[in-house]
Amino acid sequence: MKIIAAPAIASAAAMFTFGALAQDKPKPKGDVAFGEYLSSLCVTCHLPSGKAVGGIPPIVAWPEDQFVAVVNSYRWKERDNEVMQTVTAQLSDDEIAALAAYFGGLPNQPEVAK
Amino acid sequence: MINRRHVLIGGSALAAGSVLSAPMVRAQGKPKVVVIGGGAGGATAAKYIAKDSKGEIEVTLIEPKEAYTTCFHSNLYLGGFKTFDEITHKYDKLVSSYGIKHVRQWANAIDRDKKQVVLADGSRVAYDRLVVSPGIDLKYDSVAGWGKEHEEVMPHAWQAGPQTQILKKQLDAVKDGQTIVMIAPPNPYRCPPGPYERVSMMAHALKSSGRGKARIIILDPKENFSKQGLFQQAWEKYYPGLVEWLGPKVHDGIKSVDPKTMTVVTGFETYKNCALVNVIPAQRAGKIVIDAGLANQTGFCPINPENMASASDPNIFILGDASIAGDMPKSGFSANSQAKVAALMIRGELTKSRTFPARYANTCWSLVAPDDTVKVGGRYEPKPDKITAAETFLSKLDETPEHRKQVQTENIGWYAGITADMFT
Repeated sequence: MKIIAAPAIASAAAMFTFGALAQDKPKPKGDVAFGEYLSSLCVTCHLPSGKAVGGIPPIVAWPEDQFVAVVNSYRWKERDNEVMQTVTAQLSDDEIAALAAYFGGLPNQPEVAK
Repeated sequence: MINRRHVLIGGSALAAGSVLSAPMVRAQGKPKVVVIGGGAGGATAAKYIAKDSKGEIEVTLIEPKEAYTTCFHSNLYLGGFKTFDEITHKYDKLVSSYGIKHVRQWANAIDRDKKQVVLADGSRVAYDRLVVSPGIDLKYDSVAGWGKEHEEVMPHAWQAGPQTQILKKQLDAVKDGQTIVMIAPPNPYRCPPGPYERVSMMAHALKSSGRGKARIIILDPKENFSKQGLFQQAWEKYYPGLVEWLGPKVHDGIKSVDPKTMTVVTGFETYKNCALVNVIPAQRAGKIVIDAGLANQTGFCPINPENMASASDPNIFILGDASIAGDMPKSGFSANSQAKVAALMIRGELTKSRTFPARYANTCWSLVAPDDTVKVGGRYEPKPDKITAAETFLSKLDETPEHRKQVQTENIGWYAGITADMFT
């Protein structure tokens, strides 16, 4: 079962880039502080500024439900990157929700080097 | 630094540095974390403790260098895929963005009784918690005939910096048809696939510059090595006849080297007039942790798998290559991952902030040829006896060129990610 197509993610992320939906954003469903702790593993590769470098895509400012869907697709090994499959394998629903809440709340500012 | 603290503490405490460690004085100021070593473990720990404590903890990084050259991707510099500047990173943003105090001195010793670090100039820095991430020291006596005085003739380049540049210069000077010998290290050592990625990058540099008749001999004290099948397949495919790996059963022991004549003697063969001899010797934890009694007979430091604290001193956390991290390899990624666990636990101890169970991860990418990268990695969990692999992966022999190219883009992206994570 494919949850969601990649172009849909890209376009959703692009909308947030322009900030149009920022004020309409619902309250995070996950625990942001927990998500911030868990995120430290993700940001070894994914830049928190939202800048894409090489083959590592940005993961900030995504709608939470789409973030959850994509992480689940790695957790359930439907998407085939070994690194992502491994790091997501033991994540619980609460942990994925926390990550979605934390990364979803980060501004996409790829011009920042970080 | 000591002076400023004296002022903050007030007149009665001015007498001696040792007063700084008295509980009475500490209770009046912010808790102090001192970090020794600004590599993947130390820089990450300093940043995360300073960033996440939001000024509640005073963080001091003791690191003599102004900038850090990463061992990871130094092989890409050898292969011509990166410049030296691209693998060198300054510490200035850790100071300006997070208020970390960068002390540009060598840390000479740890006074565990007084909870102080003794610097090269004799001054002392007090700590409530100490993070030590000193990396490796080389055992210069582990290869007969070779020593520190020969490291410019026969470079190791296993601590990145000037050594990396010397090795590149020597590689550039190798002529077609000449012989290179690499003496690979025994276990345990920094970056298990590193020697073999290095050979791949050397072979690429030779072949792509019309020196395809040169020969690289790897003399290995080990029966097998990391990603062996993947590397050997790549050498056969991309550099046929150029790379020869000899295990101990074949070479029958690495007997000695002679830097004057550029000779390497094994039980099986003698290699004379080598154009380049890369000696990667046996290794142990940095001297400072050994002197402080934190290492065991292996030369590395046992740690508590739950938080990376030393098994013999709960106020000292040991990260990266110097630690015995169970199933985790000695890699920059591992050190970065361990640093985040230690940072969280130290904050919890000092400021009562929330803590969560430790989680560790590692991935090592190795470039074997342009657009062909293989990887090994895993997820790790603390168990009572050691950090234990929960799930691991390794590239397969039959992957498509498109997949391998994608893995290389991942490798490039990871480097940007981890160096931003460490230094910005």
